[in-house]
Amino acid sequence: MTPRIRFENVWMTYGDQVVLERLNLTVAPGEFCTIVGASGCGKTTLLRLLLGEETPSRGRILLDGEPLPAEPGPDRGIVFQRYSVFPHLSVLGNVLLGLELRASPVTGRLLGAARRNAQEEAVAMLEAVGLGQALSKYPTQLSGGMQQRLALAQSLVMHPRILLLDEPFGALDPGIRRDMHELVLRLWRENNLTVFMVTHDIREGFYLGTRLLVFDKLRYDPDEPQAYGAGITYDLPIGQADSETLAAVLGRPGAAASDRPPAPGLQR
Amino acid sequence: MKRLINQRPGRVSTAALALLPFVVLALFYMFASDARLAENPNDKLLPSFSTLAESFVRLTTEPSQRTGEILLWQDTEASLRRLAQGVGISAAIGLIVGVALGAIPLIRSGFAPFVAVLSLIPPMAVLPVLFIVFGLGEVSKVVLIVVGITPFIVRDLQQRVQELPRELIIKAQTLGANSWQIVLRVILPQVVPRLIDAVRLSLGTAWLFLISAEAIAATEGLGYRIFLVRRYLAMDVILPYVVWITLLAYLTDFLLKQTSRRAFPWYHTGEPGR
Amino acid sequence: MTFTPSNRPKSRVGRVLVPAVLLLTALSISGNALAKDQFRIAWSIYVGWMPWDYAAESGIVKKWADKYGIEIEVVQINDYVESINQYTAGAFDGCVMTNMDALTIPAAGGVDSTALIIGDFSNGNDAVILRDKTELAEIAGQKVNLVELSVSHYLLARGLASVGLSERDVTVVNTSDADMVSAFASGGPTAVVTWNPLVSEILAMPNTAKVFDSSQIPGEIIDLMVVNTETLEANPALGKALVGAWYETLSIMSKDDEAGRAARTAMGKASGTDLAGYDAQLASTKMFFEPAEAVAFAKSEQLPLTMEEVASFSFDHGLLGEGAPNPGFIGVAFPGERYFGDDGNLKLRFDSAYMQMAADGAL
Repeated sequence: MTPRIRFENVWMTYGDQVVLERLNLTVAPGEFCTIVGASGCGKTTLLRLLLGEETPSRGRILLDGEPLPAEPGPDRGIVFQRYSVFPHLSVLGNVLLGLELRASPVTGRLLGAARRNAQEEAVAMLEAVGLGQALSKYPTQLSGGMQQRLALAQSLVMHPRILLLDEPFGALDPGIRRDMHELVLRLWRENNLTVFMVTHDIREGFYLGTRLLVFDKLRYDPDEPQAYGAGITYDLPIGQADSETLAAVLGRPGAAASDRPPAPGLQR
Repeated sequence: MKRLINQRPGRVSTAALALLPFVVLALFYMFASDARLAENPNDKLLPSFSTLAESFVRLTTEPSQRTGEILLWQDTEASLRRLAQGVGISAAIGLIVGVALGAIPLIRSGFAPFVAVLSLIPPMAVLPVLFIVFGLGEVSKVVLIVVGITPFIVRDLQQRVQELPRELIIKAQTLGANSWQIVLRVILPQVVPRLIDAVRLSLGTAWLFLISAEAIAATEGLGYRIFLVRRYLAMDVILPYVVWITLLAYLTDFLLKQTSRRAFPWYHTGEPGR
Repeated sequence: MTFTPSNRPKSRVGRVLVPAVLLLTALSISGNALAKDQFRIAWSIYVGWMPWDYAAESGIVKKWADKYGIEIEVVQINDYVESINQYTAGAFDGCVMTNMDALTIPAAGGVDSTALIIGDFSNGNDAVILRDKTELAEIAGQKVNLVELSVSHYLLARGLASVGLSERDVTVVNTSDADMVSAFASGGPTAVVTWNPLVSEILAMPNTAKVFDSSQIPGEIIDLMVVNTETLEANPALGKALVGAWYETLSIMSKDDEAGRAARTAMGKASGTDLAGYDAQLASTKMFFEPAEAVAFAKSEQLPLTMEEVASFSFDHGLLGEGAPNPGFIGVAFPGERYFGDDGNLKLRFDSAYMQMAADGAL
């Protein structure tokens, strides 16, 4: 089976600064990869590479066996921590937008029966994320959690081949975050998604993913910290990680360990 | 006793405090006017309030002997027409050029420095050039307003477009948008309320240029009248006109604000993009 | 009549401040009729007023002021109308202006004013110019660019009447004198009324013709030194010193010797031209070099008729104020107990007494 995503010896450098080095990664369709690591360890760069916002300095990235397009496109959905939804469109308008753009290249709008069909599809998606009652509201009238639900619906209605989540719950309260975890897991299962999720919260990473990728420097030169880039230091199939490995990951300095008590779902 | 910075007026005293400077100014004017009129009943410099009122009634109700038109309305119509044309053209140029500069890096690299230099030209300095190129008619007055405020609007809108969160532009691309669709469905709708803000900020400047242009060559207009009657020191005409222009400026601003609130409710609640 | 292009105010925007400045002036200055020994007079650039600049710069004014034990400050104002407004507001004791502006600004504003010196009258300096036409009657139906309500406007009205037309037959476009030449050069305007040196600049352009000028209404556009009547009555020394300084200056500049040429060169330079240019402007100006000539003009039968004409024009254009019931609402006095209009509301007085002293050598 063709892997959904394949990184082949990818390097990413900005001038003298090496951000990622020797990155090799193969992800099968349906995997839920959570990505953790210290700030500046290339997590966001990885996401930007997947989006097509950046192209690798060396190596290549394949999506379903084809070279990844060098700019963002509808095959890769994204939810950011903030600014993921359009403030000038209603909840329904936000989800409808992608459908309209796909069908109408010039005006970007649908009329008549085509619009009604798209609307039905959008409403169904919004009901699936629990926003069926807020169709005509504007994003600024929604709570942070509801905005992220909207962002998910907006991306998923396009049926992307991979879904990228950039610390999507980082700004939410813990209780709401838990609800969002349930929602994401449900959507992942129901839509058979391939997910890459960057998080600061290593417990969230363990809880949500099928596979945890820990990013850190592979080599380190104290006199020249820019000289070496980061790579994947741990690639753990979740559920098989023993407590020793977990302790090693959590205890590693700079690996952004959370100091909160374990969340209730961690035993999974 | 609370600190001064922590003392807040109640509703009644807020209104009273707001009125106070106006009342003081009116009283000050009244005493000065009375003093001058007591010395010289024909004094034109500080006409009494009753003279000003009579003059205002005359300007707004009686047709002029020479043209048969009611002067204030004629002047107001002429000036507002020029202002609307000038500001409308500037806003249209500002929107198109500002969005193009803000959204498309190739255009920005090519033209942003040019626009930056253009915006540094003092419009009043090119006024003689405008009169030579466009003549003394309506066109040169409208063009002066356009020259005067368009660079500001263009640069402001370019800035606003560039300030739109990068995430939104990426998101639109992940929804399959092409460049044109991004401009049409994502950037333009978000920039229009910001355009109204920019227009509100440039209205004062637009009035300045309008009145300057009308002072130089015109047959009607608010600025024309003020500079014409200045010739015989008719403060009983000038002062009501100044108040009237102030009122018009205030109303225009108020209407734009209300339009923006009604048409773009999302823009006026909280922070954009959240 | 006012500044030449080279002396235009730096900013038109500044003119917006006029009402504010006048208000402040009005509030800070009250009665100025008391006996005092310090005076301020204002002047602006025009061929007939350049002697004031020379008189002040060369010390002639100071010499005469010293003689009568007073001080006179001579202030140049870049904007002609502004200088009259300042005078009317009380900021100056005297100011140069035309007979029409003396009637419509200070006199109509209730400031009793005396025409102390009749300096000259325009004898061709103001003109109606047409493009591609050569007869005044052909002006009918055209847009005419001029400084509205100025002597240009008056000249146009007189010219139109002379060929049986009226102002209804043309459209008057108020145009700043500073932009008159460039506007005409742009090709838009086809008819202008203006004054020298703008007249000669416009006539130098192709296909232009002077179809009417002030030499056809001699003695109607008069350039004066006007002083506040109360101030003058309380301080005759001011009148004597100003008149003395004026005629000394005129006697220097009128001669074709080295000193005369030097004086006229200085006056030309100060008004943005040279000796030849200034002499050309003088040629179309009837200067009263001799005080006796000015006295005779003040006592003439023509002056009251001229002022009646001017008052009637001013009344028709609303310049005498909305309260004015007729052109004679503001009384004008002439030498020899002669009056025009309401002698109970005398606000403008042509007084030849001081010029007579100069003629008699009594100063």
